[in-house]
Amino acid sequence: MTERGAARRPDHLSAVPDAPPGPATDIGDLVRAVARGDEPAFARLYDLVSPRVYGLIRRVLRDPAQAEEVAQEVLVEVWRTAARFDAARGSATSWIFTIAHRRAVDRVRSEQASSDRTMKVGVASVETPYDEVVDEVAGRLERRQVRHCLDDLTELQRQAVTLAYYQGHSYREVAELLKTPLPTVKTRMRDGLIRLRDCLGVEVTS
Amino acid sequence: MTTTDIHALVGAYALDAVDDLERAAFERHILACDGCRGEVDELRETASRLADSTWSVPPPQLRTDVLAAIGRTRQLPPGESARPEPDARAAVSRWRRYTAGAAAACILATGAGAATWAVQEQRVRAKNTAVAAAELREARTQAILAAPDLVVRTAPMIGGGRVTVASSAQQAASVVSLRAERAPATDRAFQLWTIRDVAAPAPVDAGLLAPGEASAAQIVEGVPGNEVFAVSEEPAGGSPQPTQVVAQVLLT
Ligand SMILES: [Zn+2]
Repeated sequence: MTERGAARRPDHLSAVPDAPPGPATDIGDLVRAVARGDEPAFARLYDLVSPRVYGLIRRVLRDPAQAEEVAQEVLVEVWRTAARFDAARGSATSWIFTIAHRRAVDRVRSEQASSDRTMKVGVASVETPYDEVVDEVAGRLERRQVRHCLDDLTELQRQAVTLAYYQGHSYREVAELLKTPLPTVKTRMRDGLIRLRDCLGVEVTS
Repeated sequence: MTTTDIHALVGAYALDAVDDLERAAFERHILACDGCRGEVDELRETASRLADSTWSVPPPQLRTDVLAAIGRTRQLPPGESARPEPDARAAVSRWRRYTAGAAAACILATGAGAATWAVQEQRVRAKNTAVAAAELREARTQAILAAPDLVVRTAPMIGGGRVTVASSAQQAASVVSLRAERAPATDRAFQLWTIRDVAAPAPVDAGLLAPGEASAAQIVEGVPGNEVFAVSEEPAGGSPQPTQVVAQVLLT
């Protein structure tokens, strides 16, 4: 698989503009516009982030119907609280995914409280959603960096980070699942994230 | 909980792997501890990158529902702090958990219950039709993606994003996935094209996305045998010929 598309461009299709069309679509700019009540800006923001917001929530909850419900809550929350986004504490993208992840985890925990999660997971895992198959192909390139960096962690770091992030487990549950003492799990979550941060080159300039 | 304990929670907190009380305690702690505050910002930014690999096409209905919902939702003014009072948050979260079941019971007990039920019933029926269609598409998609002669090609889009074409000559079809970083304006739409012969180009319409839609994943029949797959940005109703090409994937 190569990026040959850009290399050889047939002449008849040269109606390509030098500058990209449409208004700016930096996610941070969009969130600032949304904070001023700009609904078209919100629609553009929706198109940019909703596949990852929905995908993340579905990954954690595993039930497409519930994921849709929680994704709606999250995206409306982004609209409602856009004015509270603080660029000094991180990127707009991260702000949005933090809201999404927390909501998904809250839902998982309240499901556990009502003790029907196992059943729901059992039902949901039978189907193979259509777009999951497509994503498998489409997402390969984008995933490569994250995958590569996850592979760079120790087994325990990787397990601790992914069980918490992708499955919504608390560090106590992770400790139980991995048969590892609590302080060790806390430490592996922290140093695992630090190693990921360095591998991905993440920076917050405040 | 001692201070030493609470510093150590920074990773678990960034992963939302703490309980409500620890969350509240940690949020109170970082108001006073600059070290943890800086570290948690970075680790949370890092954790968010894990969402890069979770991309999934949401149901089209979600867009309609969300855009309708924001029209009814009042926005918060800019505040001193984006963080609610830690104790309040924990309390609310616990309250929500304990009252979720009670709230549902309340709705059913009132007159509104019947209306709610009717609406849900309608949604279920609409969903069943959608599910049947989705199952057919899924079977076809899997057949294409599982084909032994599958070839996957990808190209960047102008303005950011990527088009991926997974083609099988045996299946005489492709699964096309498009994800633009830049959505077209709401009166514009992406249109898909196949071009059999670059030397004598006559682009053939291969589908039109919804206006303003930035991402899609769909089956396109008859792509193998063509030399180029192209995406253009057009007026919402589509064009007979591409006017503004934003991506091209060479198929040969
Ligand atoms: Zn501290």
